[in-house]
Amino acid sequence: MTGDASKAQEAFQDTVREAALRSARDEPPPNRLWFFGDARWRCLAVCEQGLQAEPGMMEEADISLFAPMQIAQLEPEQLAVWISAAPEPQRSALALFYLDEFTLREMLALLEIKAVEFADLLSSARRQFQAWLDATTPYYEEPFFDGNEA
Amino acid sequence: MATKPDTLLACAPITEKPGVDRAMRVAIQRARHGKQAPSFSQQQAFDAAVAKLVHAIPVDAQVAEWFANENLIPLPKPRWRKILLNPAVLAVIVAVAVISGVFAYRVHEHLKDFPGGDKARRLLSVAASSRSVILDPLQTDAGALTDLFFMKHRLEHYDVPPEFADFRTLGTRVFEDEEVHRVAQIWLVEKRMQLLLFPAEPDPKDGRIKDFSDWRFVELEGWTGAVQQRNGVCFMAVIRGREKDLAPYLEKKKQ
Repeated sequence: MTGDASKAQEAFQDTVREAALRSARDEPPPNRLWFFGDARWRCLAVCEQGLQAEPGMMEEADISLFAPMQIAQLEPEQLAVWISAAPEPQRSALALFYLDEFTLREMLALLEIKAVEFADLLSSARRQFQAWLDATTPYYEEPFFDGNEA
Repeated sequence: MATKPDTLLACAPITEKPGVDRAMRVAIQRARHGKQAPSFSQQQAFDAAVAKLVHAIPVDAQVAEWFANENLIPLPKPRWRKILLNPAVLAVIVAVAVISGVFAYRVHEHLKDFPGGDKARRLLSVAASSRSVILDPLQTDAGALTDLFFMKHRLEHYDVPPEFADFRTLGTRVFEDEEVHRVAQIWLVEKRMQLLLFPAEPDPKDGRIKDFSDWRFVELEGWTGAVQQRNGVCFMAVIRGREKDLAPYLEKKKQ
């Protein structure tokens, strides 16, 4: 969400502290979504001070049949950096969607957007990520040259 | 412009989990078996690969430790309202309620019922459709008709109870009903009430006639009858109204 582990840690720490304070006041967070919502807004507040990505600046490509193999070649940190570089609310949408923890209704509530907008954000992100994969991690189904045959 | 199923497919969950809306499940099923199957399976494979990589992103040990404190996260309360509003649950509740209602009604009817109840209800409809002109005019005390029924029609024990014996009559008749047999009908001046006397019904269990001195009620389309059975003869006082309209006349004897 922030592209900076220390900033993210600080945001999460503040969220947990706020939850503890609420619990002490006998007003605990209403549900687990509260944690994600609060942490998201804190991350956004932290990121507001830095450079902001702009939407529509990246190339797009159709999802490839070989995309799973291309993705498997990536390091987790590479993906984390790519997602953190996405503009808001696409960044939050990707983070929530690929955590694979929430229903669509929960994600829409957290992001405060409509389903159509959420679908557009995910679709364009997939195409942009595919274009990035094609540029950085190309995958070839068959080797052009087989040494044994030679 | 994206249609709704396309919108849902773009947000289709990566793994199947509870709480997915029906519309989403339908859209996924259609996509898996329709023209969109190849592109949708590609999308699902893409998403699964990304999600796998996301879960491999190392989580800071300190952050993981904070979230291990489960006391901060309240347990979700059971959503009784949501469960109750489920169409399947609603249908079961309504069905059980209807069946219970019918069963309770039948039990209630059975509790109130008595041998001769069907005859009483049949005569209630006769009383409802009767007009005073079909009766022989006779102005006397209702109690005095006992002798008339015996002397003229050979109807034994066709006695008007003391509660109604002093009321003045407008007319009377004796007729043969195909089911109830010989019926004596008396029309009173008092609130246009009618009195009907007819043979009692034997108990179907043992074939014996069991008299009862308490008042038992039958109702039909806004008419109410109070029935008492003595000496093998049923007496029914009929009024257009409800049980409460007859009640004052039935308490007269106690006073």
